[in-house]
Amino acid sequence: MKKLITAVVSLGLMVGTVSAGTDVDADRKAFVAHFKSIKPNVEFAEYTNGVYAYDAGSRDQFEEILDGIPPYEEAVEKGEAEFEKFGMGNCKEFKDLSTARLNYPYFDDAAGTVVTIEGDIRKCYNEQTGKKMPTMKGKITRISAYISDQAAGGKINVKVESDAAKAAYEKGKSFFYAKRGQFNMSCADCHVYNAGSKARADILSPALGHTTHVPMYRAKWGGLGTLHRRYGGCLKNMRAKPLYAQSVEYRNMEFYHQAMSNGLEITADRYRK
Amino acid sequence: MMKKILLTTTLTVFALTAQADFLGSDHNWNNGSSDPYKTAITAAETDYAAALAASMAWRDTGKMIKEAKKLHKAGKVDVATALAKKAHNQAVNALAQAAVAGSAGPRF
Repeated sequence: MKKLITAVVSLGLMVGTVSAGTDVDADRKAFVAHFKSIKPNVEFAEYTNGVYAYDAGSRDQFEEILDGIPPYEEAVEKGEAEFEKFGMGNCKEFKDLSTARLNYPYFDDAAGTVVTIEGDIRKCYNEQTGKKMPTMKGKITRISAYISDQAAGGKINVKVESDAAKAAYEKGKSFFYAKRGQFNMSCADCHVYNAGSKARADILSPALGHTTHVPMYRAKWGGLGTLHRRYGGCLKNMRAKPLYAQSVEYRNMEFYHQAMSNGLEITADRYRK
Repeated sequence: MMKKILLTTTLTVFALTAQADFLGSDHNWNNGSSDPYKTAITAAETDYAAALAASMAWRDTGKMIKEAKKLHKAGKVDVATALAKKAHNQAVNALAQAAVAGSAGPRF
């Protein structure tokens, strides 16, 4: 009994310690200030365009693609049809599509976990059809892109309120900055400290704004993919073993990652190289 | 009584010393094996499992362990042992990263 009490008290102290030091707004301001320091001429709102906010040549190509028929357009239309076909609108989470995307990710205090839009799409699909849905590509990305498009122009506003939410946020933050894999690199090494620099022929995209255009269409993939698919790709590039999409670690990181983009607009322009 | 204790202690120390000399430097006292391959592959598997549990495993360690086992089965013991040692080294480094990952944060 004594051991149990000690464990509970210790855990409480740990959560208390973590949450006492958590200031999401201060984190976000420092994050944005960092990007302002490396690219003083790029306006905050421009970060919704990701790497295309940095490089004029790439921006021209991007706009040319958007002026034509973007390669993801058909997939998003299919996503709408699938949304209707599978009765996704019956789920309370997706009743109001004008705001649905803006509610994610959030911390569910009752469940004690971060909930992502793709997590709820899978849950809803399972409720409606009795089937399981893959986590990284295919239907999940098409439906997610369709739902996201309905909230285009809305601003990201991740809320990190309870102590447990703050603890999840801190874990996500640590994951983002921790060095891993054979190259001993962190997500931040490329997408914060070296954003705008070249890695071979590619320009490293800024982490600020990353989550405004997900799920994204990548020319490399030849299709749409979720944010967690991209996390897996980055981990592989660092020569770290990718985790499962929708794992608790990725969800925590998405929570932190998206909170850093609070105030930026969700966009339907989801093309990336 | 005292003589018996002294005799038993002396004989035990002697026996252990003799065994240690006989077994050589490759003997692993943790798993009781003198087989360098077995020692290396066991260490690699143990630390890789710990790195996986910490979500900090490296990309190729699992493949290296599998390959080492395949090579050992094919009778290529030296190459298998070298690869198992390499895999173990990766897992040790992954665990070192895991030890500091929890306190990682921005530099600005």
